[in-house]
Order: sequence, then C-alpha cells, then structure tokens
Amino acid sequence: MEFDSGETSSAAPPLPGAVLFDGRSNRRRNVTLRLSDALEIRQDGEPALRWGFHDIRRADSPSGLLRLSCLTAPALARLEVRDPAMIAALVARCDRLEQDLPNRKGVAAIVGWSLAAAVSIVLVVLFGVPLAAERLTPLVPDSFERRLGDVAEAQVKVIFAGKPCSNAAGQAAFAKLVGKLRDSAGLDNSVLSGVLATPVPNAFALPGGKVYLFDGLLEKAENPDEIAGVLAHELGHLRHRDSMRELIHNGGTSFLIGLLFGDVTGSGALIFASRSLVTSSYSRDAETNADTFAIETMHKLGRPAKPMGELMFRVTGKEGGKGLSLVSSHPLTEDRLARMDKADAGNRPSGPPLLSSAEWQALKGICGSGKGKV
Amino acid sequence: MNDMSWTPLGPSQPAPQPPPMPVAFSGDRKAFFRLVARGAGLELVTVGFYRFWLTTDIRRHLWSNTVIDGDGAEYTGRGKELLIGFLVALAILVPIYLGYTLLGVEAEHLQAFASLPMVAFFYLFGQFAIYRARRYRLTRTVWRGLRFWMSGSGWVYALKASLWGLLVVITLGFALPWREAALERYKMRHTYYGDLQGSFEGRGWDFFKRGWWLWLLMPFALVTVFGPFAYAAFKAVEWRWWLSGIRFGEVRLESTLSRGALIGLYWKVIGWILLLFIVFAAYVMLCIFLVASMDGTSIATFFKTEAFAKSIPLIVLLGIGYLAYALAINVVMRVYLMRDLWVRVLSSIIVHNIEAAADVTARGELANALGEGFADGLDVGGF
Repeated sequence: MEFDSGETSSAAPPLPGAVLFDGRSNRRRNVTLRLSDALEIRQDGEPALRWGFHDIRRADSPSGLLRLSCLTAPALARLEVRDPAMIAALVARCDRLEQDLPNRKGVAAIVGWSLAAAVSIVLVVLFGVPLAAERLTPLVPDSFERRLGDVAEAQVKVIFAGKPCSNAAGQAAFAKLVGKLRDSAGLDNSVLSGVLATPVPNAFALPGGKVYLFDGLLEKAENPDEIAGVLAHELGHLRHRDSMRELIHNGGTSFLIGLLFGDVTGSGALIFASRSLVTSSYSRDAETNADTFAIETMHKLGRPAKPMGELMFRVTGKEGGKGLSLVSSHPLTEDRLARMDKADAGNRPSGPPLLSSAEWQALKGICGSGKGKV
Repeated sequence: MNDMSWTPLGPSQPAPQPPPMPVAFSGDRKAFFRLVARGAGLELVTVGFYRFWLTTDIRRHLWSNTVIDGDGAEYTGRGKELLIGFLVALAILVPIYLGYTLLGVEAEHLQAFASLPMVAFFYLFGQFAIYRARRYRLTRTVWRGLRFWMSGSGWVYALKASLWGLLVVITLGFALPWREAALERYKMRHTYYGDLQGSFEGRGWDFFKRGWWLWLLMPFALVTVFGPFAYAAFKAVEWRWWLSGIRFGEVRLESTLSRGALIGLYWKVIGWILLLFIVFAAYVMLCIFLVASMDGTSIATFFKTEAFAKSIPLIVLLGIGYLAYALAINVVMRVYLMRDLWVRVLSSIIVHNIEAAADVTARGELANALGEGFADGLDVGGF
C-alpha cells in the first residue's frame, strides 16, 4: 500500500490538508486548501485550482469526511477534506452544497407526481379502458376473433372433457330452436352451436360466433322457454362481441394495475384484488346487457323471459348473503329473475310454443342416454 | 463496523493512515435500517413508484461506505435515470408483448404448444437486460475520481447465456459452474476501470470441486429443512469462487468466505418472516373478534353465515394489516440479504497488488438506464 505522500511540500505553511482526485487519473494528490473569495487548491505550494463556492457540490462519501465536486471541474474530480474545522468553514461558505443531492423537497415532488400518476391510471382504468374496449372491438377482424374462438374451443373441450352430442332428432330440435332465436335476434347464420355432454349446468359463447350448451343444463330444464332464454342470452354476448371486449378490457386493466404496483414484494395480492374488483364489475354490466337482449328476443317471439331466470335460480339457488357480491362476475340470480319477471308483466305471451312436446323430448335426449338412440 | 470509519485528522498529518484491511465497510446499520424502513413507507404511499429512488439510495449507501485501500467508492446514479429507463423500456416492451400475444394465437392455431419457442425469446431478452443493467451500474461506480465502464454486446452475451442455459437444463445443473465461468469471463473481459482492463480467472472446474456435493444434495435439500443450509452454502461457495477470480490488470482479488458464513443470515430472514406471520395472524384474529363483537354476533355464526367476507370494515382492516406485513418483510430482506450480506462478503475480500491501480487514466462513457428498465419490466433485475 503506497501513498505518494512524499510529494507534499515541506515549504508550505501548515494549511489544512486534503486529497484531490482530478478526474483524469486516479492519482491521489495531497493538496492544501486556502479560503479566499473562492476555494484555492494548492499543490506543492503552488496554486493549482480555484473552485468558486457557488459551484461546489457535496458528493456521497464514507462518514467522517467531506467529499466535494465542482461544476467547473471535470465531472468526477473529487476533493476530500477530513479536517473538521475546514469542513465547517466550507459548509458555511458553499451555499449550494446540497443542491444536487436528493432531499426532502425532491421526495415531496416524487410523492406528488406518483399520486398524480396513480390517479390518472385509476381514471384510465375506470373510464379509458372501457371506452377503448368499446371502440376497438368493432375494429378487430372477424377472422381473428374466430381464431381466438378456435383456440378457446379446444381448451374448453379438454377442460370439460365434453363430446358434442349428435342424436339426430335432438339435433333437429336444437337447430330449430337456435334458428328461431337467431332470426328473431337478427344474427346471420354464421353462428355455430352445439350441445356438449358434460354434467356441469352451464352454457357459454365463444369469440367468433360459437354457442355451447352443456347437457347438465338441459337436464335441469323443464320447458323449451327456459333453454331458449339461456341461448338468447348467449346470442346477446355474441351480438355485443362481449368476449372480445372483455379480452381487451381485462388485458388493459391487468397491465395498468400491474404498472401501478410494479415489483414491490407482496403486491401480488393487491394487484389480484383490485383487478378482480374492476373486471368483475365490467363483466356484470355485460351480463346485464345480455339479459336485456334475451328479454327483447324472447318478447319478439312472443315468449316470456322469466323461465330463463327460473332455470338459473334452480341451478344457483338464492345467491344473496353468500360470498362477496362485489367480486362476482354475474349479477345476483334473484335480481335477474326479478328483473325478467317485471319485464314480462307488460307482455302477455302470445306466440306459439317454440318447440312441440315431441321436439322438446328429443332435445332433452340429444346426448343419447339410451332412450333417444335409434 | 464503525471502528473502520475515518477519524478526522489534524492538520499536521497530511497523509492518512491506511486501515489494516484493504476492503472495509464503514456504514451504520441503524442508518441503513432507517433508510429502508422510510423507503418501504414511501413505496406504499407512492404505490410503488418510489422503488427507483429507494434502489438508488440503497446503492449510494452501500457504495459510498465501501472503502478500498483507504478510499470510499461512490455511486453517481440517480432515481430519475432509472424512472426514465423504465418508461422507455415500457414503450418498447408493450408493442413487443402485443405482437407476442398475436403471434401466440396464430402459432397455437397451427399447432398446440407452438408458441413455446417464443418464451425462449423472452429469456434471451432478459439476459440482454441483465447485461445492460450491469453496464449502467458499473458506469455509475466511481473510485478515486474514475469510473468503471463496460464494452461488449448485450446480445452476444444474451446468446451465450441462453445456449449455456440450455446446456445446464440438459445436464440437470451439472454444467452450471462452466456456464458461470464462461459468462463471467465475457463480462469481466469487457469491464474496465479507467484504462485498466478486467479479466476473470476463475475456472468452472474449481467451482465444481468446491460445490459438487451441494449439487448431489440439492434434490434432497429442496424438500427438507436442509434447503436453506444448502442454498446458503452454495451462495457462499459461489461468492468466494467469483471474487477470487476477478482481476483488474495486475490487481488480484481473493475471498476467504467460509462455506457456513451466510447460513445464519438466511435463517434469520426465515425466522423474522415466521415471526411477522405469527404477528399478522394474531392481528387477523383480533380484527375478526373485534368486528364480530361490534356486530353483536358470535364468532361461530359470523363464520357460518360467511358474513366475514362481506364486512367492509374487516376487509379494510385486513388490507392495512397485509400491507404492513408485506412492507415489514421487505425491510427484513433488505437489511439481511442486501446490507448484511454485502458487509459479510466484503469483509472476506483481500486485494493483492493494489499498487498496480495507483496511476490509472480515465476512460469510458456513461451508459443509459434502459437495461435497468428492461430488467425491471421483465422482473430479472439483480441488485
């Protein structure tokens, strides 16, 4: 360990010592300091540098020494002062010493701007993203949506292990029912539909115009109007292109909320909670709109909408008081039932039944549990 | 630690005495704790945006208190640079993510799992980010008025890292020492202090000799309580091997870190997390009890009717408790796994032939923080 300490001048008066690194090489230069109208840095007794007090800034250093830089010197030139009296004198004279270091004012600005950014992100999530989903969905080509649907369909078939049911008489009844609804709803015949042999009581619409009904729901149904209402509801999702809209909406929301919390450890639960809150609210709106569509479609056919609500009530039971309604993706079943009941009040069912009782029996047996088979 | 710090010298002593050890740490542990505790609070208030400034403050503290041959280092990076790097990285990553999603749909349409190779692209990108982030940190590291800097190509590094990574997967981890040696050679060969070029002399075989028994033990350790022991021993072996291989010109580093040196640290972190969890669980019980008693229902019916899931005051109380829990864990991890680990590893270092670095000329330009931004966006960041 060598220090070129021998280079300090013996002729110089005993001025406070310091160490200078000139920023061009890493040589350690022992210098002496003199305070006049500026900081004079002398090497070997000769004046070498003059640093104006206004230009001197503090740099990070280990405790116990003052490390200085200067705006007029090379960016990395450093002067290290260890003498307490000299440090005190310099601190008193350099009025902009701490200007470039992070300080309280800087932190307040960061907090202020972060809050502004957070508010703007929340506003975008609440208003901008739904608007973007609304406007972007019509711009997505049908062919792309159909591709998405194909991918989703393959996954659904794997998850529920459901095979399409193909009993001929049942198929004919199902096609008739879907056809009537489609015509009434004003959708073209590109809509594909089918029944899957799965005991789960459910039905769903896929992007690109596919509607699937699970056999489990058929088994719980007591008349054609119940199934017709459910199918009309799913056609409503297709009509509004809800899958595509929710895809855009959820993607945008997840991204923005993820941006908010970044990689702070433990933020995962927060991101999940706030995202569920926003996306489920959006989903509930879509469900309500699809219900409106179903009610209108059924009324156009002269049939009541209430049976659909009754079927759902049979499946889910009373939902209020169970779970957290804020993060539920659907409105409460009893509320939907009440709404359909109210809508039916002004409209007496006047149309003919959608299916004859023979057709209804054929539809119920579409998944061929023996008796429907030829 | 404080006995390593400089005592002010009188005017009659122009040259300070060098400390007995070439590398020392002069930072105050309490000051670091205050720094990260305050930082965690600000991270919460700023919904995470403060992380750029906190990272910077942590580095400033660790760098400036690291004293090599009597002179403290300095970190000159600023939080604003990290923020800008993050924003620019975001502007580049968002279109890439979108394109990735669309391509993924097309690929899956043609054949299931056809989108898997695209995951490889993100791995490559992550390695690129690691290299560029290192470059940013290095060009903000100053010692004796001279900065470190780095040349080389992030993409070449990413390619090397990915191919070696593939080999490690194929050999079930056997090739790991050689991967690290090869990557470290590339990084150090392109690392400079002024005009002094770095190099790496650690060999994969030496690493393997010190750590092979850990490699055999790993499958067993993963499922038992020995996991933390094995991991801590592995990290200690890795640190020691890595540090002992570093060269700058004629300057040679050596580390004497023992295998068991880090075990205590990891167990302390586990202990604190368990303790904090117990406190959090007690808090949850207390909240449920309080809210139930305010409702006037008994605890049993409170649970049976699932009323607890609908009580807004309870959810708010639990949310606050959870946040405090997460922040406390952040503080614990930073104090033990950043500061204490740093100090313990530093104290094991011996620098040989430091005189060779006595007269080095400045070279090298600043690099931007884009790499740090990518590393943040892709979650691959190191320090």
